[in-house]
Amino acid sequence: MKRNIKYLGCFLAIVGTVFQSCKKNVLETIPNDRVSSEIYWKTEADARYAVNSIYANLDATNLFVLDGITEIGHTNTVFTVEYNIENGTYDASHSRIQTEWQTAYRSIFLANYVLENIDKIKTTNTALINQFKSEARVLRAYAYMKLAGLYGDVPLIKTTITTTDGLAATRSKVADVWSFINKELTEASALLPNSFSGADRGRVTKGTALALKARAALWSGDFATASAAAKSVMDLNVYNLIAEYGKLFTYANENSVEVVFDKQFLVGTNTHNAFAFMGPYSQKSSGSTFVPTKDLADLYTMKNGKAITDATSGFDPKTPYTNRDPRMRFTMYVDGDPLPSGIPFKPVPGMGGGDEIGKTQYNTTTGFSLKKYVSAEDFANHVASGLNFILMRYAEVLLTYAEAKIEQNQIDATVYDAINKVRTRSDVGLPALVTGMTQAELRAAVRRERVLELAFEGIHLFDIRRWKTAQQVMTGPVKGITYYSGTTPVTVLVPSVIKTFDASKHYLWPIPQKEKTLNPALGQNPGW
Amino acid sequence: MISKHKKLLLTVWLSIGLFCTQLYAQTTIKGVVISASDNKPVEGATVTTKGSVKGTQTNANGEFVLAGKTGDQITISSIGYSSQVIIIKNAASSLTISLAMAKNDLEDVVVVGYGTQKKVSLTSSVSQIKGADLVRRPVSNLQQALQGQAPGLTVLDRGGEPGRSAATMRIRGITTFSGNSSGNSSPLIIVDGVEQTLFTLNPEDVESISILKDASSTAIYGSRAANGVVLVTTKRGKSGKIQASYNGYYAIQQSVNSPEMMGLEDYMRYQVLAHTNQGLAIPARYTESSIQSWITATDREKYPLPNTWFQTVLKAAPQQSHNFSFSGGNDFSRTRVSFRYMDQDGIAANYGANIRELRMNNDMQLSPKLKLSTDINYRYNLSKTPFSGDVFNRFIHGTLFAYPKYADGTYGLSQQTSNPLMLAEKSGYNKIATHYLYGSGKLDYEILPDLVFSAQVSAVINYAETKAFQNAYINYDAINARTFTVANNTLTEGRDRNTELTTNYLLNYSKKLNKHELRGLLGYSELYNQGTGLSAYRERFYNNDIQSIGQGANDATKNNSGSEYKYGLRSGFTRINYSFDGKYLLEGNARYDGSSRFTGDNQFSFFPSFSGAWRISKEKFFDDLNLPISDLKVRGSWGQTGNQTVPLYSYFASLSQGSYSFGGTAAQSFSQTGLADPTITWETNDQTDLGLEAQLLDNKLSFSVDYYKKRTSGILLALPLPVVTGFTSSTQNAGIIDNKGWEFTLGFKNNQHKFQYAINGNLAINNNMVIDLKGAGPFINNSYELDPRYIVKVGLPFNAHWGYKTDGYFQNAADVASYPSIAPGTKPGDVKFVDLNKDGKITADDWAMIGNPFPKYTFGLSSDFSYKNFSLNFLLQGAAQVDTRLSGGITEIGIAEAFTHKMVANNYWTPERPNAKFPLPRKSDFRNVGTSDRLIIDGSYLRLKNVQLMYSIPASICKKIGISAARVYVSGTNLFTISKLNEWGLDPEADSGRATYYPQTSLYTYGLNINF
Repeated sequence: MKRNIKYLGCFLAIVGTVFQSCKKNVLETIPNDRVSSEIYWKTEADARYAVNSIYANLDATNLFVLDGITEIGHTNTVFTVEYNIENGTYDASHSRIQTEWQTAYRSIFLANYVLENIDKIKTTNTALINQFKSEARVLRAYAYMKLAGLYGDVPLIKTTITTTDGLAATRSKVADVWSFINKELTEASALLPNSFSGADRGRVTKGTALALKARAALWSGDFATASAAAKSVMDLNVYNLIAEYGKLFTYANENSVEVVFDKQFLVGTNTHNAFAFMGPYSQKSSGSTFVPTKDLADLYTMKNGKAITDATSGFDPKTPYTNRDPRMRFTMYVDGDPLPSGIPFKPVPGMGGGDEIGKTQYNTTTGFSLKKYVSAEDFANHVASGLNFILMRYAEVLLTYAEAKIEQNQIDATVYDAINKVRTRSDVGLPALVTGMTQAELRAAVRRERVLELAFEGIHLFDIRRWKTAQQVMTGPVKGITYYSGTTPVTVLVPSVIKTFDASKHYLWPIPQKEKTLNPALGQNPGW
Repeated sequence: MISKHKKLLLTVWLSIGLFCTQLYAQTTIKGVVISASDNKPVEGATVTTKGSVKGTQTNANGEFVLAGKTGDQITISSIGYSSQVIIIKNAASSLTISLAMAKNDLEDVVVVGYGTQKKVSLTSSVSQIKGADLVRRPVSNLQQALQGQAPGLTVLDRGGEPGRSAATMRIRGITTFSGNSSGNSSPLIIVDGVEQTLFTLNPEDVESISILKDASSTAIYGSRAANGVVLVTTKRGKSGKIQASYNGYYAIQQSVNSPEMMGLEDYMRYQVLAHTNQGLAIPARYTESSIQSWITATDREKYPLPNTWFQTVLKAAPQQSHNFSFSGGNDFSRTRVSFRYMDQDGIAANYGANIRELRMNNDMQLSPKLKLSTDINYRYNLSKTPFSGDVFNRFIHGTLFAYPKYADGTYGLSQQTSNPLMLAEKSGYNKIATHYLYGSGKLDYEILPDLVFSAQVSAVINYAETKAFQNAYINYDAINARTFTVANNTLTEGRDRNTELTTNYLLNYSKKLNKHELRGLLGYSELYNQGTGLSAYRERFYNNDIQSIGQGANDATKNNSGSEYKYGLRSGFTRINYSFDGKYLLEGNARYDGSSRFTGDNQFSFFPSFSGAWRISKEKFFDDLNLPISDLKVRGSWGQTGNQTVPLYSYFASLSQGSYSFGGTAAQSFSQTGLADPTITWETNDQTDLGLEAQLLDNKLSFSVDYYKKRTSGILLALPLPVVTGFTSSTQNAGIIDNKGWEFTLGFKNNQHKFQYAINGNLAINNNMVIDLKGAGPFINNSYELDPRYIVKVGLPFNAHWGYKTDGYFQNAADVASYPSIAPGTKPGDVKFVDLNKDGKITADDWAMIGNPFPKYTFGLSSDFSYKNFSLNFLLQGAAQVDTRLSGGITEIGIAEAFTHKMVANNYWTPERPNAKFPLPRKSDFRNVGTSDRLIIDGSYLRLKNVQLMYSIPASICKKIGISAARVYVSGTNLFTISKLNEWGLDPEADSGRATYYPQTSLYTYGLNINF
């Protein structure tokens, strides 16, 4: 018996020793791989970090997608889901419809979370707190602009909400969304500085708020507000065009005087994959996910300002890229252009080279490939670019000003000045518009200018929606380059798609099916 | 931590050494156990001294040695024989005990939670599978071995890459939502009292497996038992002289999947039609002259056949397993040691697995009242795949017209510049090496003759090293002038360690007074799990052979990350059994569980269960009925169990770090990433079970039936949230699921003659339905428009297939004009999707349930025949009323550059074929292949899972060559299947979706079994 007790004791002692040294109470585990909300919102740094998280959720490469599904772009492979938007066979369950909705509301939540909690921080630096609040409001307004432009009526969420409230949220009229945006940007602009320096460069400024206000007003058809807000940006004297359009999207011109709003990136820590996503296939098997089309290429005038369809323009179909608006070759790679790797871009079938149309599924199907953001500087590490993504630049402010004035029929010298400033930038060098144009002529001119100046910067889809031109431009087969097979001109016809746009419903995206299933009160857009 | 556990094990070993020197002398009882029917020795019979924990087992010659003295009462029992109790009259003389064949298996001892029970006295629903039935079929893992063996246990075997599990186990259906990251419907696996994984356990080490199904059997495991419990008991040493045995096999594996591509000319002409129908220009490849040159070509490098991967890349691959075991001991110490070596090649290049393991189970009788058991199991498991996870995807997608491998060693490249053979052979590797160490010490102390105390402490240490090296390489396809480049080589290495410590303290009491028998159990258990992980990444190594992490580029591309977590469980539990006259049986269980996953008042929960049985056949009136029924029992049970598999720390809102940058300076960011729910608590599972068991016709026929109703409420669900909240999901207690069903077993055996046989069948019917979602939902879940879509909706089975209903094809222009269509430009031959809500549009609002991915019926039929030295057995297994949604290239009928099934040829819509199987060919237009009932395929199947023929070498020959017994066998696995999926060339156990998984295999095995 004694021995039994002894053995038992030994055994239990061993057990006890092991367990005592390993843990105190198995039921009280405290995580060390995350931060609890209980201990947050104490310092200014907490506020700063939380505001930073809204910036991190901003748009970047997804903007290529938006241009890619208009007439100026094409979804290069049939297995990229946006292909179904292009050919009109998409429905409310399409993942892109969900993704854009989700990203925007995540930004809105992040901003609401800051606005609701930031006053818990005990500080005397009210200016800083006001600045953070204003940043959050501007970024929230930016998200609402995208939602209004894509979906029309959307739930207007101004505070963090519970699941129950979320399941019952209803949509506000798009007009109310626009007026909310206007109010927010107006108020925030008053509290934001004209500029930031050093490690704060890239935060939204007074100019950002006003420029977004101008954009929002233009999109919503409030032209008086649009021109006034654009004018106030111009009057800040903070922004200007840089001399070279061709160097807008380079590291050297990050944070230049032309940048009004951008998503900032940094090599090595905070990167995007624009090069690998959009670059031509010969460049380290990059994706060419969305490619420019003939519709865009043909819109570029000759250097003399005349359309290529004008018999006196001097356009020679055998040398289609010579003497054109220089922005064409700043925006896209055309036959013969040197690529980041040093080789020339050779898309013409049968001519050899890695970018020949049809050679692989990833090769450009139109014979064009995007050049903006596909910079030689990123070739070495093509999946991790640190190039800032410009979300608003001064050229757009000028064109917004001009368009808003034209729509109000307030045509004066400032309108011509604004457009001409863009056209005559030193490395663009197009002739200035001749004064005395009619409102309709000017409207056509400013619209063309917007397409060409801002191509593949995420603006065009919203423009053709508000211009109501999508039903004309987004139809029929997608065309690519024209090349010569002997003496016969051959225009590339993308083999797999007919662009389809149904004016009765496609001017707005549907409410995502998943969201509508969770909350039927959201209803659905007309036609869907 | 690791060193601490090593210390523990060392200490235990040293202690054993110490105790060994103190062993005491005692009289021993010797004997031999033989079978009454043929006088052959009975191996593995259990011999115990009554009223003591002392016990041993007979060796292969039927011999045993047991500590004891004259006057002791010993019990001899063995499965298949009636137990005998003998009083030792003279301990000095050797005994010969002749065991009669059991009339039935009711005397079998069944392992239940924290104990054992005689089958006859069970009041709950438990299926037991003997080790011998598990190793009959050569399998790479135990999950596969359990398939078809027990009603109510559904094992969906998806084959899987060597060394990586792809089997899904469900006991009585799906009880919870797979939506949350750590929760699932897999049963709790307990091996020798400790939670472990089943997947890598050596089948040869298994003595028995119990499947606990109803709540009365599982409630003792409380919060982890909602999905049922699988109890595994491993083999232990037997006393007597050392027994050595070898059990090994060599097998050839072959793919079961073999879909065939449409023929060359058919395919090319089909493409012409598809382009024409879509109004598209015919590409150069499909012009008439190109088609002609392709058809007549002899140089297939230049004019490759489309898509030959299933035929060219897959190969027959060997698999082998070798087990050695040694067992022996005496009254004081018994040991079983086993070694296992298993090697499995993949059916495609660079896949493979390897297991080496050692187990030592040791029992020491420290004193007549004290037994110490120490078990150690070490296992090294290596599994290897190519770096590219895309190999099998590329069998089907985007690799048309690529030549597998040119004579010069380069690979042909498709339009998508891919080639699965190239990816398998050149992409690099992904290896997972797992070191698994299990150590357990257990002490049984007989305080009083009726009262036994047990203490067990164990550690399970799982240490995984992962290494994934991507080769940098360039493949230039000279014929097509296409290049595939991986510019940079990369290396990702991971180290993950997980330690789980378990302590169990049990107090067992049993007392028999006249007709009353009372047994009680009181227990306390604690579990502590803690893990850490590290991973590191670098790229651009000097060449593909330099693979040490420090040799990669030392710049901003290097990266590392880590994880750390812990959780605990603390529980008390009890069980009481009462039986009167072996007629009326009652049992009650209760467990009180506390979990670190919850907080506040929700931390603890109580799980009770009750059950009872009535052995009608023991009643006097029953005898008077003179029925051909020898045993009849009815039983019923009710109980509650729980599920705690909520993601850790769900109960508070947490913020995660992110990164941003301003003005070229890195900046930190923090954002709330999870919604908090401090009220989160256990899932509760209420289960009622009614059962009937009978033995008929002189025990030749056995029968059982169970009806169960299981309701899981407060299901922990990663509830999809409306994203206007800023979140996409959060874990909450929401929802109720019901599982109701029937289970039947029927067995017939005849052991009377030289020709002996046994047939056992089982059938389970499960009905699963979502009852309530707390006003939330329905939740629709699919990752990509063209892939399977599931819905969780009240009134439907969990995760039902969800999509359009269809009504044939539009047949003519009038038809098109008169009915809404899914997209503009509809033509005759397009699928007519049904406008269910009659709003004149085909939209997502027209979706409906179109199938159930979980089988309603599962069944198995096993059979043994033996005649003289030969024995033959087979296992049929299957499922019915299960729906599979195929997607991807295999069903996309040539719309994109994917595999196009042979079946499509001459079976698509034309005006002459208005009811063809497939719609109008259309290039690049997916309108007809979105999820609809057309693409739901009946996944029912009946499969000859295994056939084995075995020959026992006659004893006379064995004796001559100096061994005690030897058997040789041949067997085949997955030989024959009846299924609708056969015409697709796919395995019926496959999951819905794209058939891009490592294929299920069939095995042809040659095995040898020797007892030395």
